[in-house]
Amino acid sequence: MVKSIAKKEFISTLRDSRFMVLSAAVLLLLLAATIVGLHSYKQQQAERELAQTTVNEQFANAADRHPHRMAHFGSFAFRPKSSISFLDFGLDSFTGASVFLEAHRQNSANFSQAQQSASLIRFGEMTVAFVLQMLLPLLIIFLCFGAFTQEKETGTLKLLLSQGVSLRQAAWAKVLGYSQVVALVVAPSLVLASILLFSAGGFEPASNALLRMLLFVVFYLAYFFIFIVLSVVVSALHQRSSTALVTLLAIWISCCIFVPKATANLGATLYTTPTKAQMDADVHEEVAKGIDGHNEQDERAEALKQELFKKYGVNSLEELPVNFDGIRMAAGEEHSSHVYQEHFDELTEVFEKQNSISVYAGLLNPYLAVRHLSMGMAGSDFEHYIHFQNKAETYRYNLAQGLNNIQATRLQYGDKTTRLSNSTWKEFEPFRYEVPGTGWALCNHVVSVVALLFWLLLVCVGGFKLIENINVV
Amino acid sequence: MEIVLEAKQLKKQYQDKLALKGLDLQLQAGEIFCLLGQNGAGKSTTINLFLGFIKPTAGAAFINGLEVATNVTKVKEYLAYIPENVMLYPNLTGLENLALFSRLAGFDYKKEELMQYLVEAGLPAEAAARRVGAYSKGMRQKVGIAIAVAKHAKVLLLDEPTSGLDPKASNEFSELLLRLSKAGTGIFMATHDIFRAKEVGTRVGIMREGELVDLLATSDLNANELEKLYLNYMH
Repeated sequence: MVKSIAKKEFISTLRDSRFMVLSAAVLLLLLAATIVGLHSYKQQQAERELAQTTVNEQFANAADRHPHRMAHFGSFAFRPKSSISFLDFGLDSFTGASVFLEAHRQNSANFSQAQQSASLIRFGEMTVAFVLQMLLPLLIIFLCFGAFTQEKETGTLKLLLSQGVSLRQAAWAKVLGYSQVVALVVAPSLVLASILLFSAGGFEPASNALLRMLLFVVFYLAYFFIFIVLSVVVSALHQRSSTALVTLLAIWISCCIFVPKATANLGATLYTTPTKAQMDADVHEEVAKGIDGHNEQDERAEALKQELFKKYGVNSLEELPVNFDGIRMAAGEEHSSHVYQEHFDELTEVFEKQNSISVYAGLLNPYLAVRHLSMGMAGSDFEHYIHFQNKAETYRYNLAQGLNNIQATRLQYGDKTTRLSNSTWKEFEPFRYEVPGTGWALCNHVVSVVALLFWLLLVCVGGFKLIENINVV
Repeated sequence: MEIVLEAKQLKKQYQDKLALKGLDLQLQAGEIFCLLGQNGAGKSTTINLFLGFIKPTAGAAFINGLEVATNVTKVKEYLAYIPENVMLYPNLTGLENLALFSRLAGFDYKKEELMQYLVEAGLPAEAAARRVGAYSKGMRQKVGIAIAVAKHAKVLLLDEPTSGLDPKASNEFSELLLRLSKAGTGIFMATHDIFRAKEVGTRVGIMREGELVDLLATSDLNANELEKLYLNYMH
């Protein structure tokens, strides 16, 4: 019974030329977004790989230098793009692509797409995620708004029900039929994306990319299903197609435009971020309270020196088995890194609080839930950006301390003239970044998963309960 | 005889209007009952109550012994329905519409069988493969008749079924009803057509403002007498 009606809905829709034109347009947009997105991904990924290789070689083959000069020479960490980030650019276009890694300073990522592009990028890019999140629901609305109202207006609903079909069965059948139509529009693009992605190969393990891709598809299918059921329910609750369409368009505007903007503004208002100048001043002030690696007269350096004298039972810096310059630098680095990290964590916390408004609003709006999950699976969300930033900082800290250790153990106190050859720099492993596992990405979005499940349950249980009691005549 | 349709003190109140005032009625298998009445008399309300599309305010409607209100889906197995204006799915052909509605009723007919039902209902064979969107009202009505006949129901509920049919098709429809009646189908028909009621009906009921004001056996009077009686009640 359900299959027969679903088949009818499917065939009827395919024979509707208006819908076919609309579907073809969306399908073309999806395919174009997939191909353009993949092209852009490959180009950026190649650029970043080349840049990373170049800076790694520059570091490894750097001229003979004093180790602390090398720490200031520094290196760069380029953020590789996640394999399926071409489907959802997320924050990638706005967050930086590279971090300069140097002694004493914790730099943030620079050179984002948005910085290097025209301001049009801020209006949103034509990505697969944009089409799936914004345009597909619109297509679903145009597909389903008359699901019940048209049958009520024409009287076919009475004929249908007189054959022994219950309202619940009719509703499920329509949902099933429309789901098949939506799958027909979406599937070619996702299949093409998968083929192109996995035939080309990404930088991360294929299993991770595959799992992320699968979850990406599953979350969107759930999102579309929610919109299909919602549209069918709204249609069932109205007597006229025009009012059902207006209601559904109001829901779309609210979900896809109004609420996301409102939650972002609310987050920024409730949790204000410090200005960069303020943060730099705060950091500078606190760093100044610790050991200054470059200042031999520093009081805290003097205390450290006395501590070392006591530890090694000596009375002068020359008698120490280690180079005090390197030890002082390491202590200064430890302190400044700690201060930077504290402030960075505080800033991250503010951003996370801002995001949390939008995350919890997913319980009211499935668009927000799927947007977070989409970015999460694509590896282009805030959490992935912070993950990279932390990995880059860990590498920077270890590099600086490694060079400080070389200064402390291989050079004499006061030796500012010795230059070490590049064989020393080759001892350092180059920066390598691995996109975290799918489980990690999923754990960051538990609330969004719950929100999507909540919506599925709400429309399936609550929505169908409402349909059972609609007025047929 | 087997009672296939029954109303016991059936009432329906719409806000401040009592649309049906305690209808008591029985329809036996093979009987054709014609319900006459003006627009708004309560004929469609009565049919909607038997179909379970609306719930009675008081009393009960029964189809094949089952109370409709508590067996809304089950009673559909025993009844078929033809509305005044049969609307079908415009993107499907007449044949596909019939196949769909038959499958929903539990009948998986072959193409030839479906064609036979359509042709018997008066639809030209060549029209069966055309999309219903291009059909006239009469052609849709014929597909609706085929859908009802193909269901082989015990009870046929008809709401102005000959509306939109040409005289020849109306006549063929009357013959079809008589055939079904002879085969044991109980037919409940709401109509304005006094002459058709006299022609095919076993009994005629006259409904006015939600009340069954007269109940007559068609064998007791001719069409002219019936018309006079009907008009008397309407004034």
